[in-house]
Amino acid sequence: MSTLDDRELVDQVRAGGERLLVPETERGRERRRIVALVTPFLLLAVVGAFVPLVYLVRMSLSESAAAIQGLQFESYRTLALSVVAYLPVLGSGLSADPVYGEVIWNSLWFGAATTVVSVAVGVAIAHGLENYDLPYEGLLVTLISFPISLPGIVVAFMIMVWFARTGVLTNLFATVAGVDPVALALTGQPPGTALAVAGLFLGYCYSMIPRATFLLRGSYAQVNTDAEEAARALGATPWQTFRYVTLPQIRPGVVGALILSFRTALAIFGTVLVLKALSVVTFRFDQELATGFNLPIASALAVVFFAFTVLFTFAGLRYTSAEVAG
Amino acid sequence: MSADTERAVPDRDPGRFGRLSGTLGRRAVTALIGATIVFLITPVALTLAASLAGDWTGVLPQGFVTLDNWLHILGLQESVGAQRALGSATIQLPGGYSVTILGASLVFSLGVALCGVLINLVVGVPIAYAVTRYDFYGVGWLNTAAVLPLVPGVILGIAFLRTYPGLPSAAALVIGYSLLKIPYMILAVQSSFESMDLRQLEESARSLGASWPRTFLTVIVPNAKRGILSGAIVCWTLAAAEFNFSYMVYSRGPRPFSIFLYNNITNSSILQTAAAVSLYFLIVAGVTVALQATGQRGFSIGGVR
Repeated sequence: MSTLDDRELVDQVRAGGERLLVPETERGRERRRIVALVTPFLLLAVVGAFVPLVYLVRMSLSESAAAIQGLQFESYRTLALSVVAYLPVLGSGLSADPVYGEVIWNSLWFGAATTVVSVAVGVAIAHGLENYDLPYEGLLVTLISFPISLPGIVVAFMIMVWFARTGVLTNLFATVAGVDPVALALTGQPPGTALAVAGLFLGYCYSMIPRATFLLRGSYAQVNTDAEEAARALGATPWQTFRYVTLPQIRPGVVGALILSFRTALAIFGTVLVLKALSVVTFRFDQELATGFNLPIASALAVVFFAFTVLFTFAGLRYTSAEVAG
Repeated sequence: MSADTERAVPDRDPGRFGRLSGTLGRRAVTALIGATIVFLITPVALTLAASLAGDWTGVLPQGFVTLDNWLHILGLQESVGAQRALGSATIQLPGGYSVTILGASLVFSLGVALCGVLINLVVGVPIAYAVTRYDFYGVGWLNTAAVLPLVPGVILGIAFLRTYPGLPSAAALVIGYSLLKIPYMILAVQSSFESMDLRQLEESARSLGASWPRTFLTVIVPNAKRGILSGAIVCWTLAAAEFNFSYMVYSRGPRPFSIFLYNNITNSSILQTAAAVSLYFLIVAGVTVALQATGQRGFSIGGVR
């Protein structure tokens, strides 16, 4: 590039900057307003999220856990090998430790299962709240929204109140059936056992059902009730009306709720930390740091997690019929 | 259903499933709503009750009413595990004076969260206005990025800690809280803006001679005060109890409220934990009443993420 080109470029940038700061047209002034309105957010996003995330990527490539030093791809290699080693047929010949593959698989299947259940329950609740004349509807809405205010650790405690060794339901069933409550408790069991996972499942649902419900209420508010009434008058059963009239209308909202709930499920940490029932990615991330401070691996895990979440969320919202009400 | 509509129904067998859904569908959905509310709210009620109980070894808490658990949690009673109480902090003021603050963890978290909310106001209101009022290149992407918390608190926490190692815990918490809770602010303010005719409002004010900054600050913002208020209340409460980020960032200095909750949930007896968690429930209950006054039902901001 010659100096002449350089000067032209500098001039162009300067002219563009001047147009932005001292605009002459109404359109220019509007552009200046938009920039002024958006700048605080971009500043917060860059300082608070973008720079730390770039640093996180750099940490995952560092040779030392204590400082940014050198360049290595070993941590990503470990993750990739671990995922392959966890695969049923392909990984059987590999000697790599499949632990990260297992952790990623746990996050995915557990997140998907809790998402499907939560959104299904959310559809039913939103349906009832919208279509039935329930008594004290305002109070019901307030009560269902209450768990949204609870951090994950408190959700874990709520599950313990129900299902721990001293929990209400555990003791109730134990008294009725005459068994030791220890055999029935859903929390405090060894990690990975069916009882422990069931307890965690209910914990995830406790946080996700209210969120899914309020995502779906937005779509339900836009349903054309005339069409529903017409279908009913023409002899469709309530189920047929829901299946062929209501569901097609709320489908974009349901897809959106599935995507966002899945994202929520992947990011849950506090509940898992307290209940320690299943090793998911966020939990493993903490364990890598708590035992041995394995920063490169932890960062690599976080980078993979973040990249997946962003791609999945944006692709999901952009390239499906998903609609995010609100 | 009246006799008239009954006759209008065509003579066609809807099938066994159809008949079943006709008779049981509504009842099943209502029962599901009831069961969900019981599942969500019973432990809350039991926790509140247990915080006043003396014993919980059977099915239900017993031995009412005692304030021991509350006194212990608030740090007003010397007993085993007092290091997990809310604690008090003594601040030395210049001139030999000193102030002792009771409930240090709670006061600290509320203060830090309030700073986070102030940032959220400065950041959230303008961008909510920009994406609602103007159409510009990338507005859809910006909107999506603004209302979705894309980075989980745990990951953001460690990244933050390593990127700005010299930053005091409190400052890191302020930035982290404001970033993690800003979607709630934007969604609340946006829903207020969407119910207003922004273009007309703006043009009327401009045609009466107000400059654009003045229009924004004295016409647009006051009109959206309900949304701004409910967004601020929700952000404040959620930030004061934020755990994942705090857990990673907190190292020394005053202990955030959520860490106090965590220490109790993992280590204290169930009754003392019940009192600690109840303390937060009482805050949320107060906040819910305040939200009602702004026309917001609980924490249900436009489908919270």
